[in-house]
Amino acid sequence: MSLVPWCDGRDGMYGFIWRLLPGNTWIKALLSIVLALAVVYVLFQYVFPWAEPLLPFNDVTVDNQ
Amino acid sequence: MRVVVRTFSELCITVGTVIVLFVVYVLFWTGVKADTAMDDQIEQLQKQWARNSATAEPGRSSSTESPGKAPEKPAAYKDGRPFAVMYIPRLGFTWNKPVLEGTRTKTLKKGLGHYAGTAQLGQRGNFAVAGHRRTYGDPFKDFPRLRPGDPVVLTDGTSWFTYRIDTKPYRTLPSDTAVIDPVPRKSGYTREGRYLTLTTCDPEWGHSHRLIVWAHLDETQPVEAGKPEALRR
Repeated sequence: MSLVPWCDGRDGMYGFIWRLLPGNTWIKALLSIVLALAVVYVLFQYVFPWAEPLLPFNDVTVDNQ
Repeated sequence: MRVVVRTFSELCITVGTVIVLFVVYVLFWTGVKADTAMDDQIEQLQKQWARNSATAEPGRSSSTESPGKAPEKPAAYKDGRPFAVMYIPRLGFTWNKPVLEGTRTKTLKKGLGHYAGTAQLGQRGNFAVAGHRRTYGDPFKDFPRLRPGDPVVLTDGTSWFTYRIDTKPYRTLPSDTAVIDPVPRKSGYTREGRYLTLTTCDPEWGHSHRLIVWAHLDETQPVEAGKPEALRR
């Protein structure tokens, strides 16, 4: 067992999360979907609105360079 | 070795998924959000106008426009707030967008932005407006299709202003601020007048250039007179 728990050579990060989730396969699957949706929500609500202005689509005015 | 390969491939899958989600966000979700925001701004304006016209009848309040056909000195626009609705039949018969004060990134997400410091709607000088070409509802997606003679109609709740486009879309550099001068260079106008300038980016997804069109005020009529001819089918 190494210091980083998902680097023990058996399974990767996703496998580690899967093993960490409680319950049988169905509950694990349900929890995985909820987790994935939560990640998408955080991305759409916080991360992408921050990242989007870094792209050039906002430069529609003259002078504010 | 296996650990390295596995970690690397998991990372690739994760990054790939995030990139796909980001593209969905930029192409689709900003449009959904902008459409809601624009409808909301237009609704706000209509409510405000309805309230103003209700209070204006018995003893006009000093905050609304002064009486008469052409308001002499309209109140200054509030930054980030909507004050007019723009209609361009060439971009679609149902094409209408709110015009907000200021051209900050946040403002342009909710509609078109009026350059602070340029003339007010219908006033002497140059009324300059910027809008997104792509993303956030793609308001100016069909900008290159604008042609001389096309009407650009605006209303501020009390009057209809019909501007006529005089130039083909003119391509220039982002630093060329002379295009929103009271008498814009390159526009062909020689004297002061009541002008309108629209700006957006070019190429469609880039930011290296800007597209500009100029228009002059053709007609003004009070809202009571009904929609201007340009908007009738």
